[in-house]
Amino acid sequence: MDAPVLGRSALSGRIPVSVVTGFLGSGKTTLVNKLLKRPEMNRVAVIVNELGEQAIDNDLVEVSSEQMMLLNNGCLCCVLRGDLQETMRDLFIKRRNGEIIDFDRLVIETTGLADPAPVMQTLMTDTMLQSQYRLDCVVTLVDAVNGLEQLKTLSEPVKQAALADRIVITKTDLVDESKAAALEAILRELNPRAPVKRAVNGEIELAFLIDVALRSMQSRLEDVERWMGADNAEDHGHYGHDEHGHAHRHDTNVTSFCLRYKEPFTWASFSQCMEVLGTLRGADLFRVKGLVNVAGHKGPLIVQGVQHLFHPPIELEKWPSDDHETRIVFITRGITQQTVGNLFSAIASVAPVAAATAST
Amino acid sequence: MSEAKSMSPQSQASQTLAFNMKLLAQHEMEGFGGMGEGINMQVTKDGRRIIWMAHESAPKNFTALDVSDPRKPKFVIQTDLPHGDVRSNSLDVVGNTMVVAYQTKGFNNKPAGIDLFDITVPEKPKLISHFDASGKFSRGVHAVWFDDGEFVHMASGAPDFEPTHDKDDQFYRIIDVRNPSKPTEAGRWWMPGTRKGDSVAPPPRLKIDGGYRAHNTNVYAKQRPDRAYVGYIDGGGYILDIKDKSNIKVVSRWKNAPPFNGFVHTVMPLFSKDLLIVTEECVRDNCADWPKLTWVLNAADETNPVPISTVPLPSPESFGKRGGRFGSHNLWENYSADCAWKSDNIILATFFNGGLRAYDLSNPYQPQEVAYFVPGTPKLSPKGAVQINDVYVDDRGVVYCQDRFTGGLYIVEWTQ
Repeated sequence: MDAPVLGRSALSGRIPVSVVTGFLGSGKTTLVNKLLKRPEMNRVAVIVNELGEQAIDNDLVEVSSEQMMLLNNGCLCCVLRGDLQETMRDLFIKRRNGEIIDFDRLVIETTGLADPAPVMQTLMTDTMLQSQYRLDCVVTLVDAVNGLEQLKTLSEPVKQAALADRIVITKTDLVDESKAAALEAILRELNPRAPVKRAVNGEIELAFLIDVALRSMQSRLEDVERWMGADNAEDHGHYGHDEHGHAHRHDTNVTSFCLRYKEPFTWASFSQCMEVLGTLRGADLFRVKGLVNVAGHKGPLIVQGVQHLFHPPIELEKWPSDDHETRIVFITRGITQQTVGNLFSAIASVAPVAAATAST
Repeated sequence: MSEAKSMSPQSQASQTLAFNMKLLAQHEMEGFGGMGEGINMQVTKDGRRIIWMAHESAPKNFTALDVSDPRKPKFVIQTDLPHGDVRSNSLDVVGNTMVVAYQTKGFNNKPAGIDLFDITVPEKPKLISHFDASGKFSRGVHAVWFDDGEFVHMASGAPDFEPTHDKDDQFYRIIDVRNPSKPTEAGRWWMPGTRKGDSVAPPPRLKIDGGYRAHNTNVYAKQRPDRAYVGYIDGGGYILDIKDKSNIKVVSRWKNAPPFNGFVHTVMPLFSKDLLIVTEECVRDNCADWPKLTWVLNAADETNPVPISTVPLPSPESFGKRGGRFGSHNLWENYSADCAWKSDNIILATFFNGGLRAYDLSNPYQPQEVAYFVPGTPKLSPKGAVQINDVYVDDRGVVYCQDRFTGGLYIVEWTQ
């Protein structure tokens, strides 16, 4: 038996990050401030924009400095000052030095208008942050009162919902059930792979916001399915085998689909496909997540991208099941399954070694 | 009111710090959890993995745990010392033979030397022989290196050795144990000037006087049977030519002091990289002897080792006040046994209240910290913070480290 190679795992050796996003007034601050006080927030650091009206009671605070508060449940609350990247670096360095609690999870509240894509891209491409943190989950809050209207008229809320791994509908107590149900239906259509929950007054369990992305080089099938959203897609667990792409009755033009390939790719041909898509349609390529079978590799390569930027691929130790087919989930705006399929076929035909032909 | 409110920094010694490492189990050694710097593994005939550990001080001698299942360490045996003025501190295991060191508090006391045990049945260690190193100016043996099954390399006094200074009593001795029932001296070397009658003057004392004597005496018989890598405390680190054990010669000496506070503890070669890792030992509480570093030396020319980096340590501002010592000490030393993990790329080192830390030396000019494990204050700790003393890594990648006072053994895995 080979001696185990000890070192930092590219998955478990990184601190997982949950990004909480949502449009202005969607209740992010309420949700985060409620979350701060929950007992399961022990060893969680939270970067908040501001401490809202229901700011932390003094008797919950163990230690506080200008920028940080340690709450008595073990949660570290840090107010964003200036640059998020700087704040994240600073947190990690202080943690390493033993100057702050040894947090093993980070939750970031984005600003209201924010497009979450740059935050996600930062985690994928900032080499220093990338070596300390990994993106675990994007949680998008949608306000039940204004959500329907916002999704119809504004592009940011649509993108926020499309990029999400988890969706939380807030303020459902302020609208009647039919309105909430209509909003939920639209969100499920917009992003069928993201589980949707309702929350009143920011009451939500931490468990809904964490442990979405792959956490270990020895990930199991259920981990992969949770990450790719197979358990929520309306295609009954077969994520994309014969999926036609979700027809969009709604005028958002957002669609999601899964491509599967039996034959292994070469890394050159696969990355070429992604590069072409990213270069020509980056703005419309909201999110890509996949397990890719690349010739010569023992395990699947984990691929993930947001628009034109991709995280360096990570090879799992082994395939999580006997199914060694490449599977890639796309969430796009106006790029159809057929367009992407054609591109893959075209590149495969140029590089026949790849022998990548769609299995469907 | 909580403890944290009275402290200004938000870090607390009671808090476990971990990065890329996870605790599998802790064993408090039946209430005698003060462990020294001797920890080694035996794989028994029936396939059990037994970890043997020397205690830091009396009353206990050594303890063995069955760590076949690292999540459920099982107590095997614990032995007592004959009296309170002797400590074992160091031991090594090769196959079914264990060597245990004995050092007395003052000169001219016993037992001072080494014991050889047959541990074929771990529950019943059988004494094979005792090698006596006691004497008018000897405290016996502080540290042993036993890796090839033939020779014990050790930091030891001797009945016929009168040092020029009381602190310079332990020198490098090689004991032939090929016939384990009759250990005999095969060679010795001491730093010139430390023995009465030497032709050179005694070395000057350092400001914090640790003594000029041997500490770790590593020999890697598979790679370089003709070299000993010796930490000589205030004398610095030595590479010695031991091809002729009866005529040991200096290949090179590297000094950290002055300007640093001496106390060179370990010199470990990473052969495939032409590197030496040299640790100093922190011996004062609250950073009174800071900095205590772990050095990386380029030894491509072994006659002229050149320091190229030190491993990055957390700040003394954070750890200096946690309690007890903070700074370098022991390394995982790449033992040759099959059950030992080996690497020239990753080093693991212990830093007292700085815990156990692992570094990637892919770029030896910029060692990168890749993992750490700093247990929260062990129960009844007299220092108010953990004092991680030594480390062992088995071929499964399981990491064992121990507390110097009460915490016993921590079994840790890298998160994968």
